[in-house]
Amino acid sequence: MPLLTVQNLSTAFHTRHGVVRAVQDVSFQLERGETLGIVGESGSGKSVTCYSIMGLVPQPPGRIEGGRALFGSVDLLACSRRELNRIRGRRISMIFQDAMTSLNPFLRIGEQLIEPLMIHEKIPRSAATDRALAMLDEAGISEAEHRLKMYPHEFSGGMRQRVMIAMALITKPDLLIADEPTTALDVTVQAQILELIKKMQSELGMAVILVSHDLGIVSGFCDRVMVMYAGRVMESARTDDLFYDTKHPYTRGLRNSIPALQMKGAELHTIPGQPPDPQHPLPGCPFAPRCIHAVDYCAQEEIVLVDSPPQHGTACLRVQKENLSV
Amino acid sequence: MDSSTPIASVAPAESEGGSSFWQDARHRLWQNKLAVFGLVVLSILAALCFATYLFPNISGYTYERQNLALGPVPPSRAHWLGTDALGRDLLARLLYGGGISLLVGLCATLVSLTIGVIYGAIAGFAGGKLDMVMMRMVDILYALPFAIFVILLMVFFGQNLILLFVAIGAVEWLTMARIVRGQVMAVKRQEFVEAAHALGLREGRIIFRHIVPNLLGPIIVYATLTVPEVILLESFLSFLGLGVQPPQSSWGVLIKEGAEVMEEYPWLLIYPGAVMALTLFSLNFLGDGLRDALDVRGSKD
Amino acid sequence: MVRFITRRFFETIPVLFVIATATFFMMRLAPGGPFDAEKQVLPEIRARMEAHYGLDKPLFQQYLLQMKHLLQGDLGPSFKYPGRTVNEIIADAFPVSLELGCESLVVALLLGLAAGMTASLKQNSAWDHVPMALAMIGLCLPTFVLGPLLISAFALHLDWFNAAGWFFPRDRVLPALTLGAFYAAYIARLCRGGFLEILNQDYIRTARAKGASGARILFKHALRGGILPVVSFLGPAVAGLLTGSFVVETIFGVPGLGRYFVTAAFNRDYFMVMGSVLFYACFVVALNLVADVVLVWLNPKLRFE
Repeated sequence: MPLLTVQNLSTAFHTRHGVVRAVQDVSFQLERGETLGIVGESGSGKSVTCYSIMGLVPQPPGRIEGGRALFGSVDLLACSRRELNRIRGRRISMIFQDAMTSLNPFLRIGEQLIEPLMIHEKIPRSAATDRALAMLDEAGISEAEHRLKMYPHEFSGGMRQRVMIAMALITKPDLLIADEPTTALDVTVQAQILELIKKMQSELGMAVILVSHDLGIVSGFCDRVMVMYAGRVMESARTDDLFYDTKHPYTRGLRNSIPALQMKGAELHTIPGQPPDPQHPLPGCPFAPRCIHAVDYCAQEEIVLVDSPPQHGTACLRVQKENLSV
Repeated sequence: MDSSTPIASVAPAESEGGSSFWQDARHRLWQNKLAVFGLVVLSILAALCFATYLFPNISGYTYERQNLALGPVPPSRAHWLGTDALGRDLLARLLYGGGISLLVGLCATLVSLTIGVIYGAIAGFAGGKLDMVMMRMVDILYALPFAIFVILLMVFFGQNLILLFVAIGAVEWLTMARIVRGQVMAVKRQEFVEAAHALGLREGRIIFRHIVPNLLGPIIVYATLTVPEVILLESFLSFLGLGVQPPQSSWGVLIKEGAEVMEEYPWLLIYPGAVMALTLFSLNFLGDGLRDALDVRGSKD
Repeated sequence: MVRFITRRFFETIPVLFVIATATFFMMRLAPGGPFDAEKQVLPEIRARMEAHYGLDKPLFQQYLLQMKHLLQGDLGPSFKYPGRTVNEIIADAFPVSLELGCESLVVALLLGLAAGMTASLKQNSAWDHVPMALAMIGLCLPTFVLGPLLISAFALHLDWFNAAGWFFPRDRVLPALTLGAFYAAYIARLCRGGFLEILNQDYIRTARAKGASGARILFKHALRGGILPVVSFLGPAVAGLLTGSFVVETIFGVPGLGRYFVTAAFNRDYFMVMGSVLFYACFVVALNLVADVVLVWLNPKLRFE
């Protein structure tokens, strides 16, 4: 049985100016130990999807409009707050993009590090502190004992992110959700952080969801990739399949836009146009206005993710109907 | 794969009418029902009070005309709010006193505004050591019970209205100074000031056309919020017998007189208290509304 | 920390000095003297009384004498209550004011913090609007309106309390409520604002992601940050409580220092005025220091400056 099954998740924000449909009809599955990458530009709904699963969407103004998120036998979207709190931090952990703002500036690192243990496991403080020290060690932070007493602002960016990872993994969860963990870091540090996550993953045998706007990062790290646009899943496949047998124009566009893969000196490839206005969605495929392959029915029919060979889903109407090659 | 002309072209962004900062603020303020309520109530009260202050005989009764034969009566047709122990019409005294209280409020706020803005602007512009010293002084003064000094001033140097303005204003300027200084420092660092410098604009022009408009917002807000504090302080002094002197009335005087005879003639306390509270509400709501409307940081949804 | 305290200590000495000087000259330069009220007194007797208290000497000499006495801790005799020194009067009256002040502060903190925290947790609900509306009322009702109202309602009509006096523990209730109401209102608003800002921070989201309960988030994560504006306010709040006590003591017949101060000012009781002013100033300064220390302790980022 898969570790996590998300079916038809839809989340909207009811603001003063209108309704923003941040996530629409998103479905995916995650097996134990698998790494899933969720890729998309800002506003694609990738982060909101994860927040929805974790129950971190502020309601109001947000609202889960439908769907299920089955973790084991528990529907995370429908269970009680108490049940959710039992799972969060213990079996599913999450790390965030900006480690500086995500750590409490008023508490010492040690205090924050042992907190998941204090909440979820009935062990004495001294035992928890020992485990915290061990985690810091694993995370590659030297002088761990000294560091426990320090405050977040005394650490560098990379170290803070390591602390976040240590904090998230101290309860040995089954699933780690990493929301753009490297975006705010220097390039050299990015690689180190990803290495660390990979190492911890293999040690703990846990699944990882990695959210990023960078297709390059995701390709090196994940078993499967899910591409999102305007709140919907456009394509979902194993990494190799996604790259070598692309089945969606948007994915192709993203691939073509990776600077490292382009000829030096030539003009950089971009996808023309802007993402759609989330408050005024147009009918049909949201990517149609910018798609070089769009035909008239693309702007009329609603899209649905369909598995065309198994394990490779695409929402492109033309691929589904005419087997268009992108 | 070759990029043939896309069938669906990208629609050009529609041009939207822009709105200025002040228009946005006015719109937000208008949406805030409480603030609008405050503004309306305030306007009505102020109009009535100032009219009565300027033309004391407007209602047929002046604030000082006694009617000893009548004595204190509860509200009636002849006297809408009743009379006090000396037969003076309460409504007239209330409105006249309101004029005085509001006048004190405005003038003292003006005094504190002037002192505060100048002090804060100097500290903010100067920066460095001067700023540090000036702000340290403000910090020290902020915590002292200044009201004690106001009391001493009023006791020793007699109760004239001008002194009252000055004394109260001298107490309230500290917050304004802090805010102005903070705002000046924040604006000074902003990139558009650097840009103006880069364009070669003169210092004076920069100050007037760029920095000053950014100061107006917080100044307006805190001035509006200072007025109720001043009115409270004035009534506090009057209660101790130090502010406005009878037969002149202010809300503080009326409340004092009412409190003394609260048992037998409750209306003498209730009406002045209610009217003053209503005014303070209105000012506070208006001030809060202005703060929300003019504060560009942070939208709530 | 020790350096911080010493630095503050040295800062306040000149401030106190300025206060003493200003008070002295204000009093002496003002029209009227301490014995004006005694109309029956013959001029010769008055002259002798003034000489007795040293009031016939040149002004500057009096000033130096006063300063010398102050440094020795001698606050002088009182004119209004002959036979009693200012030190004695303060020693008797201050504990009363102190008790009233503390009780009012407790009222203000309990009510204010509870209202503010609840309002921030349940933003835009009834739990938010009602306490904030009450807070607004508290801000707009001065003590001398609220006091008589409370007396009228609870003492005279319901007969739960005495209307005045300071004899039984029950007598503390109405004065403390009256004095504390304004500050409770202010604290409630500050607290709500502070907590709302904290609750929107990313690290609260992290705490939720760890599975922390609402109570844990509130007390362990939000409290230290959310309470900062309240702590900053405590300095001026205490100052205000002291001055507010003048009125409350008058209304409720509480024999505290505030009442003595006001009467002394009216009566030109020079030494009494000087004594009270300096006493208050010292007290407020000390309390401010405590508030600032607490502020630094709560906010680790400040500690490293």
